Amino acid sequence: MLPSSRAPIVNQLVVYKVGSADEVYGKTGIAHFLEHMMFKGTGTVGPTEFSRTVSKNGGRDNAYTSFDTTGYYQTVAPDRLEMVMRMEAVRMANLRLTEKELIPERQVVLEERRMRIDNSPAALLGEAVQEQLYGRHKPYGMPISGYVDDVKKLNIHDLAAFYAKWYMPNNAILIVAGDTTADQVRKLAEKHYGPIAARKVDPRRRPGEGASDLPQRVTRADARVAEPRWSRYYLAPSYHKGESQYAYALQVLARLLGGGETSRLWKALVVERKVALSAWASYSPSSLGLTSFDLGVHPASGTPMVEVESAVGGLLGKLLDDGVTAEEVERAQNQLLAAAIYSQDSLQSGPRIYGGALGVGGTVADIDAWPQRIGAVTPAAVVAAARHVWRADGLVTSVLTPQEGMR
Amino acid sequence: MRQLLRFLAALVVAVSGLPVAAGAVDIKTISTPLGIKAWLVQDKSAPAVSLSFSFAGGTASDPDGQLGVTTLMATLLSDGAGTLTSQAFRQRQEDAAASVGFSASLDRLGGSLRVLSANREEGFELLRLALTQPRFDSDMIDQRRAQTIAAINQASQRPASVAARTLMETEFAGHPYANDPDGTPDDLRKLTQQTLKQRAAALLIRNGLVIAAVGDIEEADLARLLDRTFGTLPTGTPPALPPEWNPPTKARTVVVERPVPQSTALLALPGVARDDPDWYAALIMNHVLGGGGQQSRLFTEVREKRGLAYGASSSLRVYKRAALLVMSTASANERVAEALRVVKAELARLRVDGPTEQEIADAKTYLAGALALSLDSSGAIAGLLHSMQVDGLAPDHLTKRAALIAAVKIDDVRRLARRLLRDEALTTVVVGKPVGIASDPL
Repeated sequence: MLPSSRAPIVNQLVVYKVGSADEVYGKTGIAHFLEHMMFKGTGTVGPTEFSRTVSKNGGRDNAYTSFDTTGYYQTVAPDRLEMVMRMEAVRMANLRLTEKELIPERQVVLEERRMRIDNSPAALLGEAVQEQLYGRHKPYGMPISGYVDDVKKLNIHDLAAFYAKWYMPNNAILIVAGDTTADQVRKLAEKHYGPIAARKVDPRRRPGEGASDLPQRVTRADARVAEPRWSRYYLAPSYHKGESQYAYALQVLARLLGGGETSRLWKALVVERKVALSAWASYSPSSLGLTSFDLGVHPASGTPMVEVESAVGGLLGKLLDDGVTAEEVERAQNQLLAAAIYSQDSLQSGPRIYGGALGVGGTVADIDAWPQRIGAVTPAAVVAAARHVWRADGLVTSVLTPQEGMR
Repeated sequence: MRQLLRFLAALVVAVSGLPVAAGAVDIKTISTPLGIKAWLVQDKSAPAVSLSFSFAGGTASDPDGQLGVTTLMATLLSDGAGTLTSQAFRQRQEDAAASVGFSASLDRLGGSLRVLSANREEGFELLRLALTQPRFDSDMIDQRRAQTIAAINQASQRPASVAARTLMETEFAGHPYANDPDGTPDDLRKLTQQTLKQRAAALLIRNGLVIAAVGDIEEADLARLLDRTFGTLPTGTPPALPPEWNPPTKARTVVVERPVPQSTALLALPGVARDDPDWYAALIMNHVLGGGGQQSRLFTEVREKRGLAYGASSSLRVYKRAALLVMSTASANERVAEALRVVKAELARLRVDGPTEQEIADAKTYLAGALALSLDSSGAIAGLLHSMQVDGLAPDHLTKRAALIAAVKIDDVRRLARRLLRDEALTTVVVGKPVGIASDPL
């Protein structure tokens, strides 16, 4: 429960500890397809009635599927919290899956994929990178929306089995933010979610290593690309898999290396050498399995890819050889903490942060300790983390270019 | 530095556990000793101050041969000021956990400041420097110009961007609203430090300035900081409004070929001005047709029943000299003609049969509640306060809004649907390789 009485609204988020990485090859796309079908009715709520009811009560609702979690959320006036909790509880245990609703929804799911992935060369290349980094047909190596051939074959029984296996109160996290009290939330949650029986839930498994044939290089030349991109993805530990003691230093490293226009990559490549139009780095530690440390460059017009790649290689090597200064580590720490303060200012982002962390096995104590742990990162720890992650046999390089002769 | 780190670390924890006492939106109007006017909502629930402001005049008044000058100038305002180079200016923002930014729309030059309340003196000082002493260093001009041209290039291949751009070019042909706010590569290459400085001088004036503030700040402190920040800006005459817009008088379909599996479609009709007496009827009509979430007619008919698209929606767009009702969907090339047929059938059904009493009632409860849903951050509240002033509304509008929505009758919506939803005024843009759809000759 995250209290805030800034505006007369509450946000309910229910996160299930299951995502697309819990699927098997041949049946991919179930987690996401099921997320769509969760809006198609229960024993007491008709098809599409869930969202209609939220809307006519002045609220909004939606849902998302990621590799590790699936979330359902609504924003409503405080006196409508019980209403959305009642409906959310009903579809936790009594979803009605019918052929009639499944058939058109399959087309919707495929259109969503066309919009997000097939129409976008960068997204198609991103899927290829995931496959190379984590391994073909392995968790995180398969698309969240599933392979088209799989989605076309999924049936009611597949979805029902997945629902029965993962959707239960003891595999869910309830987060409520906004203008109400913990006492009220507890009372309503016990009333509506409390009666649903807990069941045995299977442990989730993620491999302890990535693909076995790294490094790899993935290139896509596409007529729909106007501007080239160079990117690099290193397998990396998360909070919960691999050498997780590096997870905090890696956040500081990503920030000082490529977080914004005062970062090392931006200053060197965009401002000083003028070989790039932008440069970035990122690292997300909230993952049940391994994650990746990513960096990328938008080369300036006329800069060859080999020059970009060697410039980045030089900068990474320099960091490992010469280390980082106490001052740049502190600046990065300040930026991370400032971003966290501002994100708490929004009623949407608070629940997302908690849901993302708790949904992969983190605790509230971990979230509370985050500022101290980030603040405790030393320059030596940053370099040690970089040395651990930047390995020549643990990376994928990707290159996106306009098709030959197109420009 | 270490001190700031400890301070920030303490704040992260303090904010997450804060039992706060805000309440309804209580708008105070401020008039400073130097005559700067602003709206303020005090909110002590976050240790920050958000400012949203704008100047009269936007990209639609870019001079001939200088298309893109306002957007590029806006970007460069926060790229160095006074004695601070771009890197130094950015560093000062980061050290204060502050952010100063500018952007341009067709009609206005907008800006924002976000700063921790403990650092507000520094935040407002950086904003003052950006407004009064922007540098326009030649290396930053080159960098931002190259980034803008690259962004225009990439947008020319992204189906949704191509559709949006083509819609504006078609609907506003011959009018300044047809121009890309980012400009054209040719004009961008010609822009000089002098033209950028001239543009800044022409727009950064007190006449037409609108300011909204939200956060942990007292009225007297805000007044003092506003005078220091905006008080020395000159007075003057904002750029003339664009000419009146003459809406298209016949239906037109434009197809832009792109090698993609899914076609993106936008349909536009002349809309409703913000000060039109039928504005609230238009909000309700739009909600029934394609607004809100998953309850609308377009969503139901295009997505739920037929699975023709992931999204199908409509929205009202308001500009100073024009208004549009825009319908949007995207469907596989082989099926997009069917999706468009369904959208057009829904426009006709709403025009001929009107909405049901139940739809009107549901739309009213949604619209009454939806405003509160958007007030979920101080930046969002500042944005609302800013747009209310741009729209010429009074501070007590928020208390009257529910009654204005409730007062709309079903006949008002029927009449409006007959007025707006006319096939002969419909512009259709399709980007992709649509099967069975062709461009109309000019």
